[in-house]
Amino acid sequence: MPNGTKTESKALLDADFVRRLERLVIAAKRVQLGRAKGERKSKRKGSSVEFADYRDYVQGDDLRHIDWNIYGRLDALYLKLFQEQEDLTVHLLVDASQSMAYGEPAKIEFAAKLAAAIGYIALIGYDRVSVEAFAGARRQVMRPVRGKGNANRLFSFLSGLSAGGQTELEDSCKSYVLRNRSKGIAVIFSDFLDPEGFEGGLRRLLQSGCDVYAVHILARQEIDPEVTGDLKLLDSETSACTEISVSPALLKRYRQNVDGFCDALRRHCLARDIGYMFAPSDTPLDRLLLEVFRRGGMLQ
Amino acid sequence: MIDQGTGLAGMVDTLFMTPAFLWFLAVLPVILILYLLKLRRTEVVISSTLLWLKSLQDLTANAPFQRLRKNLLLLLQLLIALALALALARPYLRAEMLPGQYICLLIDRSASMQTQEKAGTRLDLARESALRLVNEMRWGDRMMVVTFGETADVLVELTEDRVRLREVLGAIQATDESTRMRDAFFVAQSLHQTNPDLSVIVLTDGNVSDLAQILPRSEAGAPSATEEELVLESQMPELVFFQVGETRDNAGIVQLSMRKPSDEAGEQQTFALVHNESANPLQTTLTLYFNDVMIGVSELDVPPGADQEVLFGHGDLGEGLLRAELDTHDALAVDNQAWLAIRPAAKLQVLLVSEPKATSTFYLQRVFALDPRAELETVAPSNYFDTQEYDLVVFNGFAPPSLPAGSLLFFNAVPPVEDLDVLGELENPPVIASEGEHPVMRYLNPANVGIAKAIRLGLPSGARALASTNGGPLIADVSRGGQQILVVAFNLEDSDWPLNLSFPLFVQNVLSWTPRAALSETRTTRAGRPLALPPDPLAESATVAAPDGQSYDVRLDPMRPSYFAATHQVGPYRVALGGRDMTYAINLLDPVETAVAPAEALEIGRGRVEAQKEKVTVNREFWRWLVAAGIAILALEWWVYSRRAWV
Repeated sequence: MPNGTKTESKALLDADFVRRLERLVIAAKRVQLGRAKGERKSKRKGSSVEFADYRDYVQGDDLRHIDWNIYGRLDALYLKLFQEQEDLTVHLLVDASQSMAYGEPAKIEFAAKLAAAIGYIALIGYDRVSVEAFAGARRQVMRPVRGKGNANRLFSFLSGLSAGGQTELEDSCKSYVLRNRSKGIAVIFSDFLDPEGFEGGLRRLLQSGCDVYAVHILARQEIDPEVTGDLKLLDSETSACTEISVSPALLKRYRQNVDGFCDALRRHCLARDIGYMFAPSDTPLDRLLLEVFRRGGMLQ
Repeated sequence: MIDQGTGLAGMVDTLFMTPAFLWFLAVLPVILILYLLKLRRTEVVISSTLLWLKSLQDLTANAPFQRLRKNLLLLLQLLIALALALALARPYLRAEMLPGQYICLLIDRSASMQTQEKAGTRLDLARESALRLVNEMRWGDRMMVVTFGETADVLVELTEDRVRLREVLGAIQATDESTRMRDAFFVAQSLHQTNPDLSVIVLTDGNVSDLAQILPRSEAGAPSATEEELVLESQMPELVFFQVGETRDNAGIVQLSMRKPSDEAGEQQTFALVHNESANPLQTTLTLYFNDVMIGVSELDVPPGADQEVLFGHGDLGEGLLRAELDTHDALAVDNQAWLAIRPAAKLQVLLVSEPKATSTFYLQRVFALDPRAELETVAPSNYFDTQEYDLVVFNGFAPPSLPAGSLLFFNAVPPVEDLDVLGELENPPVIASEGEHPVMRYLNPANVGIAKAIRLGLPSGARALASTNGGPLIADVSRGGQQILVVAFNLEDSDWPLNLSFPLFVQNVLSWTPRAALSETRTTRAGRPLALPPDPLAESATVAAPDGQSYDVRLDPMRPSYFAATHQVGPYRVALGGRDMTYAINLLDPVETAVAPAEALEIGRGRVEAQKEKVTVNREFWRWLVAAGIAILALEWWVYSRRAWV
């Protein structure tokens, strides 16, 4: 691993953790067609390790794949066919709306770390990684990269993310899907707090044919707010204000609503074969990745 | 009581004790303004208000009276302020309720309260009303009970103890006494000075004989009330006169006496005066009994509201009990009989008021002891008090501030008689002239009496000098209004008169001269006034048997008269004293009590307290309830504040 990666990753992920990530691979639920050879089984037969069949040599075939043992015995050129192992495009979509700046640690920071971890796992698995942070019309895009050597670039992109703008999940997803047609795995990191609802965005992703994973990031302060007194709440995105007088009844009702919101999202995902992972922003990363994401079937 | 005003101001005056505090209502708009300025909320930026909005909507959608609840705190605070401001203004209601806090109940227990009404005696009615008031007592109310007849008794001091109050009220007994409210009134007034909130409720039929003595009655609007009267008036507690009774069906004997006409040949006469209070003419008989033997009957025909005199002539009756009985069944029975205790003329009650150790006292005691008719009691001037029980009161070197009843003889003292003046002193006055025609100077000649010094008297007109010297009288008759008063202007110790024969003769003449000496003795005392029992050196105690058969032991003093006070009933009281039996007659004989028709108002001083019938309506303050409501709302407000789930 280059030194630069190490230092860059220090800001986002510590080295120890990065090493542990190397043992993980991203699980594609469906076998996908990729663009380049990767380490995944493909429908195509190719030049991977796993033997599939033989065929006659034709001019132009790669000499490396000729089975020289057969040539010795039969004096005929046969080409070994292997189950082609292909790469996979991992789309990392990070919600970078203003609301993601909220929380301790900030949700966007947390989302960046998660994206970095998953992106890194993908890179070492020779998968293509495409990252886009969106907030309405505002986009921060990283061109798809491949190979472990690009980890540094991934990390520096993610650590440079900034939050701002309104959440418009559907528009953002639609625009991304139109621009990136390669199938693969789409992981969306968001709080899904969109006044228009989260359904449209997820639908757009599904329509792209990718495996979709929804990582639901909420700050602890959102799940279990510690507020008292008469307050004027300002929406960080819309600047709309809501006056409340905190009472036990109101707090109880709010917690019920948070639970209800998470539950609605989870059910929605379940019904559409979307992997749902709930990630409070104060959860330790390793626990989340090694337990929750594994259990969610995203990592192996 | 607050006068009915006019308009809004009048209404405010009528509803509130201290309407000035209503200015505190100005707090209400202040609270409103504070609300309009509204509390400044802390601004908090959060990721999204999405979930909060939803929660608010959920809660407010479930809450009834949303609009009201929105301002519930404001409303509650306004209510608290309103309740407290109104409480400060001390609102009250006029209702059949107790006046706040301290009540002094004055209950009439005089003879007229025995008057039978439809639902029982007047005292029963008064008791019922009183018990009703006790039942109406609120927490913190205190009541005291004073009864009054001839005298006043505080039955219970201010107390909250309702059980005790009921007990005391239940035990009140009617007496046969006259109605004197003065003492009871002053008990209430003195209490009023320490408790300005004290309300005084008088339960009576209003037939009170001594209202004029509470405060001198003057014409309404008269400008000439003295300062003293004004002070007294300003200290008057607020009176509520709760009138009991309505009937006026009564007739009774209001006077009974025995007299002898001036000429000695005439027979003894018993005089009675009958008053008919009822609205119908009274036709009945008055019967006179002597020792329960009828000695005379007189037909009566008394017009409504009028009096009729009855005169019975009879011989010398000797010792016994005379009873007059009116044959009528009316609402008040007590005044249908009257008694006179007649005892032989031989016994004249003489009271000597003199320093016991003085030589002159010794002279006088010796000289009165010579006369078998005289029963002499000696009392020191310091122990003397006004009495009516004696035929003759001898004052030696001491003059009381007011004259007692009976014949009076003063030695070396000047009685308080109008125009009788001390002009100086006489040295060695010779007795120059004596009035031999006067009954007390009969058969004696004081001309040879030596006198060292004497008071020089100036006599009022109509007085007679019985023995005179150059400078003025030495013995004078200053009788006034039928009361015989003699003045001896020198000290017996400054003269040789006690050693002279004329002295015992003079004393005998004086005894004979007393009006009762010639008559068979009649004794009557008003119910409620004490009986004076003569001192008896031999007996330590006397037994008094009341008309109802109850007997009392009274300790006697060897030197001074003893008094028996439990004379609440009319009738003959028989006293066994050192082997002697004496009868004392206790009578009501009070026109005010016999006139049972209830009074419509009590007129005290310049004030007039109108009677309230049936229900006692008084000012009931309820500021406590307002304060309690204020506190309750405050608690509610706090609860709402800490639990509120609305904006």
